[in-house]
Amino acid sequence: MTRNNDISTPQGYFDSLQQRLQAIPGKQQAGRPTVARRLMPYMAYAASLALLVAAGGFILRKTTAAPQAEVSEGSYYSYLAQSLDPDGGLVDLPREYGLSEEEIVQYLVDEGVSLEYLNETNDEKAY
Amino acid sequence: MTELEQVFNDIVKQYSERLYWHVRRFTASHEDADDLLQEIFIKIWHALPSFRGEAQVYTWVWRIATNEALNWLRREKVRAALRFSSLDQEMDRRILSDPYFNGTDAQRELSRAVARLPEKQRQVFVMRWWDDLSYEQISAITGTSVGALKTSYHIAQEKIRASVSNAEIGRDD
Repeated sequence: MTRNNDISTPQGYFDSLQQRLQAIPGKQQAGRPTVARRLMPYMAYAASLALLVAAGGFILRKTTAAPQAEVSEGSYYSYLAQSLDPDGGLVDLPREYGLSEEEIVQYLVDEGVSLEYLNETNDEKAY
Repeated sequence: MTELEQVFNDIVKQYSERLYWHVRRFTASHEDADDLLQEIFIKIWHALPSFRGEAQVYTWVWRIATNEALNWLRREKVRAALRFSSLDQEMDRRILSDPYFNGTDAQRELSRAVARLPEKQRQVFVMRWWDDLSYEQISAITGTSVGALKTSYHIAQEKIRASVSNAEIGRDD
């Protein structure tokens, strides 16, 4: 017994659901990924590790550079968010929205954002 | 049809509808629940060859589904922040505008209160209240002890009661 009487689905949804799901094996075999695509998750994790190292280096450079405006730990991710946010605007994700580094990195990995893309996008915004 | 495909089809027949309702409680949107369900069953298909019966099938299937639902929430949290919003605000908006909601005001407030719970409390509440799983079943799925689950559920209930009471007081003003 479930208590799901407060929500419903489009009419006939469950009539076709099983058929659609049971078609998955056929679609997955037809679109069998190439070696490169199978390696992509590992490449994404390698990219995310490289990103963390780059972020650490960035923060280290900024905190040991000549005196200038204080750079918070979250600013690299604000910088990152700006490149991903088409409307622009600086978003200090970690401080304002309580996001951790791990959450942001996992998001980037899940979205398939590569380090190359980030570097290309952020080149124009170099401090 | 291969033996693996037959096993997969049996899992679809047995679990697809229940898992839909489970993930729907996390997404608060039919379209996102449908998409997430597809992703879950794709994961099940890919993981099936390596399933050696270490756990019962239902435990294994539910574990994949509930982990994917939590991953979905984590991604939505970041997407919401990039839209200058918060996950709480996004979930509230979805619940209030859901065209497939046909419950009472109290049921809507319950959904909104559950959506504001921390991850683990939301997970155990959804599985206990809406999915009607026993603590032992939830423990097998999540790897959390029955005692810890009961504590989480109790805390969740208290928070929900407070939240629903505040909503009712607000309406009475």
